[in-house]
Amino acid sequence: MNNFNLIWLPFLYLYIVGGGFFLLGLVLIIKTNAIEISKPNHFNWLLILIIGFVYYFLIHFLFIIFATGN
Amino acid sequence: MDFVIGTNLDRIIILLYFALVMSFGAYFGKYSKSTSDYFFGGRRFSWWLISISIVATGIGSHSFLKYSTKAYEYGFSSTMTYMNDWFFMPLFMFGWLPIIYYSKVASIPEYFQRRFNSKARFIATFMILLYMIGYVAIQLLTLATVLYKIYSIPLMSTVIIIALVTTLYTHFGGQTSVIFTDLFQGLILLFSGLLLFYLGINYLGEFSNLSGFNFFWDNLTTSQKLPLANFNSPPDFNFVGIFWQDGIAGSIGFLFMNQGLIMRFMAAKNVNEGRKAAAFNVLIILPISAIVVSNAGWIGRVISNTNPNILPLDMAPNDVFVVITNLVSSPGVFGLIIAALCAALMSTADTLVNASSAVIVNDIYRPITKNKNSDKKELNIARLASLLVKIIAVLLVPFFNNFDSIYEAHGWFHSTFTPPLVVGIFLGIFWKRFTSSAIIATFLVGGFLMILGQFYPELIKPFSHGIELRPGKGYSYIGALYNIFVCATVGIVVSFFTKPPDLKQIKGLTIFDVKDLKQIFKGSEINEKKGEKISVEWKRSNQKNEFISFSKNDMKRMKAKKGDLVYLSDSRKWLGGLKSIHSSFDKSHNEDGIVYLSSSLIEKGLFIDNKTLTAEKEM
Repeated sequence: MNNFNLIWLPFLYLYIVGGGFFLLGLVLIIKTNAIEISKPNHFNWLLILIIGFVYYFLIHFLFIIFATGN
Repeated sequence: MDFVIGTNLDRIIILLYFALVMSFGAYFGKYSKSTSDYFFGGRRFSWWLISISIVATGIGSHSFLKYSTKAYEYGFSSTMTYMNDWFFMPLFMFGWLPIIYYSKVASIPEYFQRRFNSKARFIATFMILLYMIGYVAIQLLTLATVLYKIYSIPLMSTVIIIALVTTLYTHFGGQTSVIFTDLFQGLILLFSGLLLFYLGINYLGEFSNLSGFNFFWDNLTTSQKLPLANFNSPPDFNFVGIFWQDGIAGSIGFLFMNQGLIMRFMAAKNVNEGRKAAAFNVLIILPISAIVVSNAGWIGRVISNTNPNILPLDMAPNDVFVVITNLVSSPGVFGLIIAALCAALMSTADTLVNASSAVIVNDIYRPITKNKNSDKKELNIARLASLLVKIIAVLLVPFFNNFDSIYEAHGWFHSTFTPPLVVGIFLGIFWKRFTSSAIIATFLVGGFLMILGQFYPELIKPFSHGIELRPGKGYSYIGALYNIFVCATVGIVVSFFTKPPDLKQIKGLTIFDVKDLKQIFKGSEINEKKGEKISVEWKRSNQKNEFISFSKNDMKRMKAKKGDLVYLSDSRKWLGGLKSIHSSFDKSHNEDGIVYLSSSLIEKGLFIDNKTLTAEKEM
């Protein structure tokens, strides 16, 4: 079995393609002023959105590291 | 595999659970006095109540069977579909959620009417109803399949009994009953699922000197420990196909077009509470839910890797959940965990039945009768509609029973009904140029091209990412990418060749107007000065209007003006907003700490004598 296909390609695909959708969403809500980062409440939400992305990234990344024992 | 399992104690516990949920739902039925209460619970609940009740909606009874099966076959990658919903949260929290909340649409089809036209609404109504009723039928079939093994009652009789039980409390209680029974059932679901994992780990500990968890971890292979499946093989479980089918089409479908979920968010007391509920749900509850629905399969895999003789030789993958639960739990506990499976079914079904009746009233009955109905009559129609939905769902069960597995039936459903609606909603919200003719073409031409793809898999091949074509079965999950592509292409091309929509007509219905939505909602300039939350006692006024009168000083503390919006709730936070109202500030008086309410507001807010209220200016 191809190890790259099994271990890292799904991870890269998930965060490059999925991350692309996420980034597009962030840009769209900022450009349209749907989120007004000058308001403290909205700025906090922007941070939560970015932290949420990093949180899932780390869960998957660390799980792969533990699973492969590297 | 044909077997009967469980003890009489388990059977009694399951029956008691059904009775408990029915009485719980019936109790909260008294809080539904209008169609707004029946469908949206009066738009008054706190984020935590919405968030926990969404757990029970998101986890269906099919989830336990489906994910345990995949967990048994492939290990931790069964969690993939629960861990990829965050990508669309920016668009959901700051695009779709404020649009649906502030534009006061009562249903997804109504959004199609306002954004496009009545033809788009008609087609969307038909597709959404088919989707939801079919989904209910799959839930009924799943649970009946399990209960049949425990009670030995014929499958269709079991289906009818379950349908009757869930109908009773949804029928009388509406959204408030659904939210409170789902809160209860969500907690039962999480508790029982985690209990099963604990029991499974303990059971494994008996096989070695290692701790149960070490034995569990050490006896899974590397590929079984990975959180994501192999990129493009095997054809029936690969990463890239499931990413497009679930991570993209499924996530957008669940967040943007699931009428049941949308109604749950519209029951929140405001948009910010809805955002909190969504964030808590995806960041905390979904990872826990992934463990809850999959762990029986993981335990089964370790048993199979180390002591294969323990499991029945002829065990079908779909039976893993029931077999492992029976194996690791004692009599009584087994009944409790199966009761959690019942909770999963009932909570998903009740949400969808309530949502379907909302669509029937709002998108079929009201347009036909031109909105000339009393609220009481519409409430009765809603209750009749929920009965009708259940009857049709029961009649559809034999159709879904013909599929090879529940997994396939569910997959077919998602790939058939989600893409055109998802593309329609997505382009409608995020692209002003998207036209009414284009949405109709997306539904009809896009739908036709999707069907063509089912018959000619070579059309899907360019999207396959190297996934092997299964002879006679075609491409499974990756078909979602093809379906999204053809629907979006049709929508975009037709938009460019038709007259752009009148921007005045779509005001407030796209993401470009979100910043103005609060003002549109309030009907006057918004007041965003941050004031205090204050505690007040209430007194009955003789006035018949729907406004609330505070003292001058209290209004100053809240930085409120006459005409601003106010939220008044019972100060006991654990009620989650059950006893609360939205209204506007009236002219002030001079009695500090006192608020004057009309009789109808007191009744709507379910306020009790001598109970302190909390008031906050909304905007």
